[in-house]
Amino acid sequence: MKFLPATLAAVFLTATATALEEPALPTWHGKERAELEAKGWIPGALLLSHDPIPDEPAKPEPLQVEQPKPGEIAGDLKPSPEIAEKFLPAYFAERPKNFLVDPQGLLNPSDYRDRLSFLNYHASDSSIDLFVYVIGGDQEIPSAVREEEMIERFFTEGRPAAIVYYYLGAPQRSVVYLSPSITTSVSAAEQRRALESSVMQAFEKTKPSEQFEKFLVQMSIRIYWMERMLAGETAAASTPSIIATAGAGHAKSAKLIWLQALALKALIPATILFGAFLTALGFHHWLRLRARYRFPEFEVEPRLGGAHAAGVGAVISFASAALPPASQRDQVPDYLRRA
Amino acid sequence: MKCPRCVQRIHRAAASCPHCGFTLADADARFGAEEVHIRSLTDSAGILRRGDRPRVEAAMEKITRRFPQLFVAIYTGSLGEVANIRQFGFWLLNRSAFEDVPVQKPNEAGILITIDPESKAAGMVFGYLLDPFLEESDTFDCLSRAHAYWLEGRYADGIVRVLHHLDGILCKRSRQARRDPEHFQRKVVLPAQMGDLVRRIRAGHHPSPEEQETEEVRR
Repeated sequence: MKFLPATLAAVFLTATATALEEPALPTWHGKERAELEAKGWIPGALLLSHDPIPDEPAKPEPLQVEQPKPGEIAGDLKPSPEIAEKFLPAYFAERPKNFLVDPQGLLNPSDYRDRLSFLNYHASDSSIDLFVYVIGGDQEIPSAVREEEMIERFFTEGRPAAIVYYYLGAPQRSVVYLSPSITTSVSAAEQRRALESSVMQAFEKTKPSEQFEKFLVQMSIRIYWMERMLAGETAAASTPSIIATAGAGHAKSAKLIWLQALALKALIPATILFGAFLTALGFHHWLRLRARYRFPEFEVEPRLGGAHAAGVGAVISFASAALPPASQRDQVPDYLRRA
Repeated sequence: MKCPRCVQRIHRAAASCPHCGFTLADADARFGAEEVHIRSLTDSAGILRRGDRPRVEAAMEKITRRFPQLFVAIYTGSLGEVANIRQFGFWLLNRSAFEDVPVQKPNEAGILITIDPESKAAGMVFGYLLDPFLEESDTFDCLSRAHAYWLEGRYADGIVRVLHHLDGILCKRSRQARRDPEHFQRKVVLPAQMGDLVRRIRAGHHPSPEEQETEEVRR
């Protein structure tokens, strides 16, 4: 019995080795082949030969497509001119008065008004302001301007702020800085993610003004999450859903932000109210449990000679499980029952 | 208010049943005229199991705590063929001295539940203190809560259910009595006799003591 496993293994290996051997290919008998060639057609001859297929059309010549021009190749933007010197004071001389800085007038008045109203709304709703410097898509900030230093100088005091250099028509060149008071709380990775998601949202549109609008909405949403991080709350996993809904347009996103902020504001009072309600309910229940009830004492004339009691209540029989209690209420006079 | 023997309605101060003439003396003749010393939970029939007593006592204690004027007593026993549980309850609450009930609580403040497991019947009797506040239908409601349990022989569960429901009814009646005590007082106060009525009318024509004094001063 102890050789049985070894025997079985040997049989199995032999069978496997036999199965793995390939069968020999079939070969033509000379006579059969000659007969078929005489008929003019051998089955499978077309597939097994290397001869060109008869009547096959010749390969078409490749299409002559016009080569793309240098300007049409993505990422080939050449930042040429620096921002004109006359605009530099308006950009970088002092802390901006408005949340939207566009001294060059790159945005048309209507867009400027809309974006500014959105930024004002954001500032009224969020504890982190959003300042946006609008720069031309092909422009460069002069090397003499040191952005970090400027931000440290203008944004150290006052409310915390996020500062964005937005290149109109080239959102991928945008840069975001945070004011020093919140730089330590919001990680660089979070800042990068905020910028990336905003740029991605901007690229959903083709017109620069629409790109700018999408960029701002998404950046506002991301700032909301930064704000939550500042408040010690973990960034919720529902961020992607917020990003997804941001595509529904400016009005919807603004409403969403407003609703979220409202829910956040109402959460604490609602929790307090609910807690107070539960406490009151518990207290009421506790009072009722501890309540002592007294009956007024009236003078009652004794009846039937009973000094203490003549309040004869109900009598119930529980002899039958088939009848309901009401049918087993004992109302039969004593003398009838005994009879 | 009904007679324990003929179950007919009797008036508020009937010295004996106007229908069958029943009095406590008739019950005394059947069960004995002497005072009976028992505890508020007396299980003569032995229907309560070992762990049942604390539960029943706790339910009784709860009522005593919430209604400081009242106490609850439970008697289980086999009353035999000839005994009527209604008459027995009436007699027991009038003739018993409950050893574990404080003396300041007279039997007028008692609620007695009697269970006879042999004849499979249970009844409830209450003292004069609760006379204006409890109806026979209330006691039936309480007892019917235990019906299913008693059918299965789960006497303690049934008693606890009875006491729980009784607690609710007493709470309700107490609140009603606090709001409108006159409503309950009218149930027990005797109707005015003709002589009383004439006396009150005449008293209305007589001058009050103050007016009499004023007249004497004038003279």
